[in-house]
Amino acid sequence: MVEKGNEIEILLIEDNMNDAEMAIRALRKGNIANKVFHLKDGALAMQFLFGTGLYEGRNINEKPKVILLDLKMPKVNGMEVLKQIKSNDLTKKIPVVILTSSKENPDVEKCYDLGANSYIVKPVEFDSFSKAVAEVGLYWLLYNHPTA
Amino acid sequence: MPTKQKSITVEESLKKSLKEVSDYKYAIDESSIVAITDQKGIILHANDNFCKISKYSRKELIGQDHRIINSGHHPKEFIRNLWHTIANGKIWRGELKNKAKDGTIYWVDTTIVPFLNEEKKPYQYVAIRADITERKRTEEILESSLKEISDYKYALDESSIVAITDQKGIIKYVNNNFCKISKYSSSELIGQDHRIINSAYHPKDFIRNLWITIANGKIWRGELKNKAKDGTYYWVDTTIIPFLNELGKPYQYIAIRADITMRKEAEEENLRLKFELEERVKQRTEELEAFSYSISHDLRAPLRAINGYAKMLEEDYNDLFDIEGKRLLNVVQENAKRMGVLIDDLLAFARLGRKKLAKSNIKMTELTEAAWIEVTKSTTTKYTIKIDQLHSIVADRSLINQVMINLISNAVKYSSKTKGPKIEIKSEKESGSIVYSVSDNGAGFENEYGNKLFGVFQRLHSPDEFEGTGVGLALVKRIIDKHGGKVWAKGELNKGAKFYFSLPIR
Repeated sequence: MVEKGNEIEILLIEDNMNDAEMAIRALRKGNIANKVFHLKDGALAMQFLFGTGLYEGRNINEKPKVILLDLKMPKVNGMEVLKQIKSNDLTKKIPVVILTSSKENPDVEKCYDLGANSYIVKPVEFDSFSKAVAEVGLYWLLYNHPTA
Repeated sequence: MPTKQKSITVEESLKKSLKEVSDYKYAIDESSIVAITDQKGIILHANDNFCKISKYSRKELIGQDHRIINSGHHPKEFIRNLWHTIANGKIWRGELKNKAKDGTIYWVDTTIVPFLNEEKKPYQYVAIRADITERKRTEEILESSLKEISDYKYALDESSIVAITDQKGIIKYVNNNFCKISKYSSSELIGQDHRIINSAYHPKDFIRNLWITIANGKIWRGELKNKAKDGTYYWVDTTIIPFLNELGKPYQYIAIRADITMRKEAEEENLRLKFELEERVKQRTEELEAFSYSISHDLRAPLRAINGYAKMLEEDYNDLFDIEGKRLLNVVQENAKRMGVLIDDLLAFARLGRKKLAKSNIKMTELTEAAWIEVTKSTTTKYTIKIDQLHSIVADRSLINQVMINLISNAVKYSSKTKGPKIEIKSEKESGSIVYSVSDNGAGFENEYGNKLFGVFQRLHSPDEFEGTGVGLALVKRIIDKHGGKVWAKGELNKGAKFYFSLPIR
């Protein structure tokens, strides 16, 4: 999905492959799919962002423009990933959008406290889901320019 | 002459003596009760006072012995001792209880003087008595009061924990029960103040209040936790009574206590159990919360996939499906959506259980009008709506809003297929509560199923007649229950339904 030389714009961290596929499809509809990189758990996300493990040697100064982060994941969950991102000078300025199944999730509040920039409820209905992902993805890519 | 003169002198001196004796006799007769008996005790003479007090005439007394006024009060030994004394020529003094003719009792302070013949044997006795009935009666009353007091003290000592302190609180007296419960000996306690048994359990204000009360001469009552010598604690129900001097200042305090340790321990145990139970409920609630979230997450993910992939199929392979294929695909999506709503409703219902009420004054007319607009903003059907001027109420605004929205949604939904749908919202004040009602002229229901309306997932219509998950009215009931109100409904099939809810007036 990542073309050589192409900067990764959206980092999608999502353990559910179906949700990931739907999210990517939604982003593709917004013509930004080619810049999406998908990681299927929090541990991999940490390795990717900080150039360790499987991603040892990766140029960590190439940062995604926005991170879409699922909360409920095995091994390292979304909240821990968020905490790491927001407490590291290298990554703390990357906007993070939380993906959650329910707005009732008490963790959403905690995520804001940890510095999350916004959140998307993943609705059962596909159309709403696509719309939400595409809109938020675009918003953070096009209208929000994080300071380098 | 001298002889005559001498005899005159003797006679005069005799006369003088006689006069003296007669004066004495007069004085004694006036002042005392006098009787003279022979050596056998037979009454030879009784003066007026004797007759008056014994209520016998002189005639009745003379020739009798003293058994005539015997009260039977004195033991035989006592009487024998009296006789023994006087028969031996000695004066007897004592107090005698006698019985008058009319049966009344009188007491006399008695002196019996024996008169002896040349052989030193008594030939008569003179008894001089004084009426001491009044004094004896007072004595008896005093004695019986004393007896009563000592009985009270005995009963109190048996039943209670008693201590007496001086005005400074220094212990002057403790009874056995005090020693038993405090495990101190009385010598360890006397001279100390009550700090010796202070448990440090009570706040300073509490103790200060106690002292202020009793120092002002008022009785203090309360429950105190004390510490025994061995470090164990005991509870006493305590009454402290101040005793005041002439200036109205307490000079001593008597504290009467009852051991209520068992009761207090039971109370404490109850509190502990209650706390434990609350903790457990809290824990369970948290578990349930986690479970609810997990359900909402785990059940939604596959639903999302079903719905999403069906949609992708529809989008990407549209040309390959005929009309029936598209219909089937649509059914899949619709049901996934429905289940999503169901999960949401169920979660909302569960969440309500732990929500705390945030009460405020609600202008119900405004709230209802806003709810009406919200419910009907996307409908095309024309309804006749009549919202009365509704009573305001103190309740949780967001929850009551939910109730109104649910009831209006129901009314709108079930009258949507009726020609000229009409909805009316009213309120009425009853004793202690306001009753609100939402009525429609829609599908209605048979009254016999009315009780099923408010159960979770209970429906009286199938989804293809009227959409719904069967949670709306259950939610209404739960909200109203939480407010201490009631919900009920009346209906008639195909004529309409009327839903009522009452909210208590604060």
